[in-house]
Amino acid sequence: MVKLAAPLLALVLLAALTVFTDRPLPPADFNFINGTGVTTIDPQRMSWMPDMRLCRALFEPLVRNDVFTPGFDIIPGVAESWEVSDDGLTYTFHLRDDARWSNGEPVTAPQFVYSWRRALLPDTAADYTALFQLIAGSQEFFDWRSAALDAYVEQPVKNRAAAEQLWQDTLAKFDEMVALDAPDDRTLVVSLYEPTPFFLDLAAFATFSPVYPPLVSQYETVDAETGVLRLETGWTKPPLIVSNGAFQLERWRFKRDMYLTKNPHYWDADAIAIDSIYAPVVSDPNAQVLAFETGSVDWVTDLAVSYRADMYAQKLAFYREHQAEYDRLKASGMDHMEIDRHLPSDPRKNIHAGPAFATYWYNFNCLEKLPDGRVNPFHDPQVRRAFAMAVNKETIVKDIKRTGEPVASTMIPPGSIGGYVSPRGLPFDPERARAELAAAGYPDPSQFPTVELLFNKDSGHDLIAQSLARDWQENLGVKTRLAQKELKVYKDDLKKANYMTSRAGWYGDYGDPTTFLEVNRTGDGNNDRKYSNPVFDDLLDQAKLELDPAKRMAILSEAERILVEEDLPLIPIYHYVQMYLFDADKVSGVTPHPRTNQNLFLIDILGDSKGPDVSRRMPTPAHKPGSTDEGQEP
Amino acid sequence: MIGLIVRRLLQLPVIVLVIYTLTLTLAWAIPGDPLNNDEGRQPPAAVKERMLAQYNLDSFWTFYFSYLSNATGVDYVADRLDGTIAADWASAEALGVAPRERLVFNLGPSLSYEDWTVNEIIVSALPVSATLGIVAILIALVVGVGAGVIGAVKPNSFADISTLAVALIGISLPSFVTGTVLLLAFSVWVPIFPVAGWGTVDRIILPAVALSLPFAAYIARLTRMGMIETLGADYIRTARAKGASEQTVIVKHALKNAFLPVLSFLGPATALAMTGSFIVERVFSIPGLGEHFVNAVQTKDLFLIIGVVLVFATMLIVFNLIVDVLYRWVDPRIEQ
Repeated sequence: MVKLAAPLLALVLLAALTVFTDRPLPPADFNFINGTGVTTIDPQRMSWMPDMRLCRALFEPLVRNDVFTPGFDIIPGVAESWEVSDDGLTYTFHLRDDARWSNGEPVTAPQFVYSWRRALLPDTAADYTALFQLIAGSQEFFDWRSAALDAYVEQPVKNRAAAEQLWQDTLAKFDEMVALDAPDDRTLVVSLYEPTPFFLDLAAFATFSPVYPPLVSQYETVDAETGVLRLETGWTKPPLIVSNGAFQLERWRFKRDMYLTKNPHYWDADAIAIDSIYAPVVSDPNAQVLAFETGSVDWVTDLAVSYRADMYAQKLAFYREHQAEYDRLKASGMDHMEIDRHLPSDPRKNIHAGPAFATYWYNFNCLEKLPDGRVNPFHDPQVRRAFAMAVNKETIVKDIKRTGEPVASTMIPPGSIGGYVSPRGLPFDPERARAELAAAGYPDPSQFPTVELLFNKDSGHDLIAQSLARDWQENLGVKTRLAQKELKVYKDDLKKANYMTSRAGWYGDYGDPTTFLEVNRTGDGNNDRKYSNPVFDDLLDQAKLELDPAKRMAILSEAERILVEEDLPLIPIYHYVQMYLFDADKVSGVTPHPRTNQNLFLIDILGDSKGPDVSRRMPTPAHKPGSTDEGQEP
Repeated sequence: MIGLIVRRLLQLPVIVLVIYTLTLTLAWAIPGDPLNNDEGRQPPAAVKERMLAQYNLDSFWTFYFSYLSNATGVDYVADRLDGTIAADWASAEALGVAPRERLVFNLGPSLSYEDWTVNEIIVSALPVSATLGIVAILIALVVGVGAGVIGAVKPNSFADISTLAVALIGISLPSFVTGTVLLLAFSVWVPIFPVAGWGTVDRIILPAVALSLPFAAYIARLTRMGMIETLGADYIRTARAKGASEQTVIVKHALKNAFLPVLSFLGPATALAMTGSFIVERVFSIPGLGEHFVNAVQTKDLFLIIGVVLVFATMLIVFNLIVDVLYRWVDPRIEQ
């Protein structure tokens, strides 16, 4: 027995040594669970919400959004000022003198050229390449480089020298073709294909952050076989990583935790009210709630437990107990987090459900025929309208979701974009729905082909599908069939338009209606509905050329009206809510804005005598929204 | 003995190659696009094509051979021989920076954890799972053998029936139930242990107990069966007759033989426990290897799927070999 136990014990000790030789770090000022954890902190390659949340803490782009203003106003970041040419095409940014990397080196304009070039290279091929392709010449450059790489593979001589030569040619070609220049260290000039009023909002987007070229370039090597620039990610880990934001990364252990400390070289370091942030990875939703309740974390950024609806019901019960006070605070125009701070302390109020910049909807396949050759009844907009008006969205929100989601009749969450007036959309009206269906050539609904509803099998999508199916059966008299699939299979079917109707959702990226509307343009990579209406496409094109912001918004509003009142390529069901768990009496700096871009550098622990210790709040919307996106001179 | 070890070690690469081929074929057949985000934005078609080409995901055979050459070190040796690596070092020296690290056995990048290579993931997660697994197996051994012996000494007594009942529960209850109950009982109601995470000794106890339960239960049954059988054997009667104390009879004579089935169970059990449990690791938020067996398939992270499967296969083969060697050591009769 002892003979056997000895080697086992030795193994335990060995394994324990490798695991438990931790360098203990002091407890952080702020602890939070960053969704399901970070996948990449390379700004040009990221596309996930937790990644971007972290990126905004580590890196600073040219400009930022003031997330506590209704219009998400643009404020200076690395750039202290900027000018826009009269034709709206050319932006000139002036970088501040005191912008520094975490190693003390200055942040310069050529570094932005380097970083944005990474996003524009086919070699990087990132999810958000398309956002950068608004820069004049970038699409031609992408095609040139792609062709050059294809040609390289075909050529007989392939060696390091040849690959290196191709790379030098590419750099020269980039400078020649793409309208992105750094005339000096503190000036960046960028020209666009079209006047793009939301370009500053994009420049504030996490993927437009700079990386530190002396470090990153070591991890970019030219592959002799293919000529491709291979990007490796070793540089994103401490102690190597160099960043220019409010925080620097002290430690990052895979699937375990991240530890951030204040960047002493950050130009606005005095404004940061916390010195360190700890972000453990807790993937299980129940464990996240337990971690919060036992006090080991201060903020859960994405509450996903199955009983969250019950938690939210508790909060509503809490509000009812303080109804008069709640109504008074609400009437004074306070945001919902600030209201909580003015109500008595109670654990029930720690759950926060606020509107998000996202919509849940059902797609119609708009093709004439389904991929298997069947005639598609949903090719006819009148049929789509009938089905849209037969859906009782109120039950879905009230009885299934139960977390305060607003019922949606539009794609774009109303009130989320300053200066944009949302169309009305279609009501729930079973009678009109039946009339429309009869007029579309189906007076006897039993003749209508069986309607298939495609959805993926998680997150309660099944209950919503059942509710829709019942509505269509009862209100229209058609037969339905539910098709529940694995996420990857569902995604595949969507991309191949292999469905009749399907669940879908969309999170807006930037503060402009086009972030939602463009996905319905003919041939767009995200147009899973295969919807095509030249009138709609033409309105989007008109908006691109329109320089007057108000007129432009009116054009886009008309485009959305076509979508949600006439053509209905999709049925908006509800607008998402973002659910947080934190004690508003203790934590300030989480914005209630529907765009939910949370900035960790705004976090302040109230009453810790660091920082102002006064809660940040949304100003009461006294001034008219709509003063967004124009470059204000600071 | 040496012959056995050499023979098995020679078989190992062949088995691993077969497993690699099967795993890749199956993983390749998973529907869906490995570079697709759940709710994410779909890049233009040209970008998408380039993304697939980056990882050789556009052709099965290119992927098959490039992965093999990277993972087996052929690629590294080739670069070493033709001077590519020396040239990298020279240029790094010229720039005055540290040269980029080159892995000999490169298992590729993870597609879902973009900043991490599969090597890094395994190096970071395997020791975690291994520590947890070994502690769990130790607990299972102590508890299981103890319960089995108690039961066998007095069959059908209250102690026997109650340990059997507990063993039955241990086998039947899924670990997401036992794990959650343990967590609620000892972290929330009676807060002795921290809720979740990894890195300190007190965080290992609850998950190790949760993980050990089914193993302990099975070991208890194996021990009990073996013990009841051996306690009836002639040599035990002889031992008692010559006046050996009951303790000596049980521990020295009976248990030694009764332990053999437990030992053969320990090989695969240790490999299984050490490569991680999806559920226990998830419930206790332990950064181990277990979740990758499930998540990597769901996200179609080809490099990670193959990486963890190969690690598991190798460990299973090696632990079975160790058990076979121990077997011959404990019971020399097997050699003949």
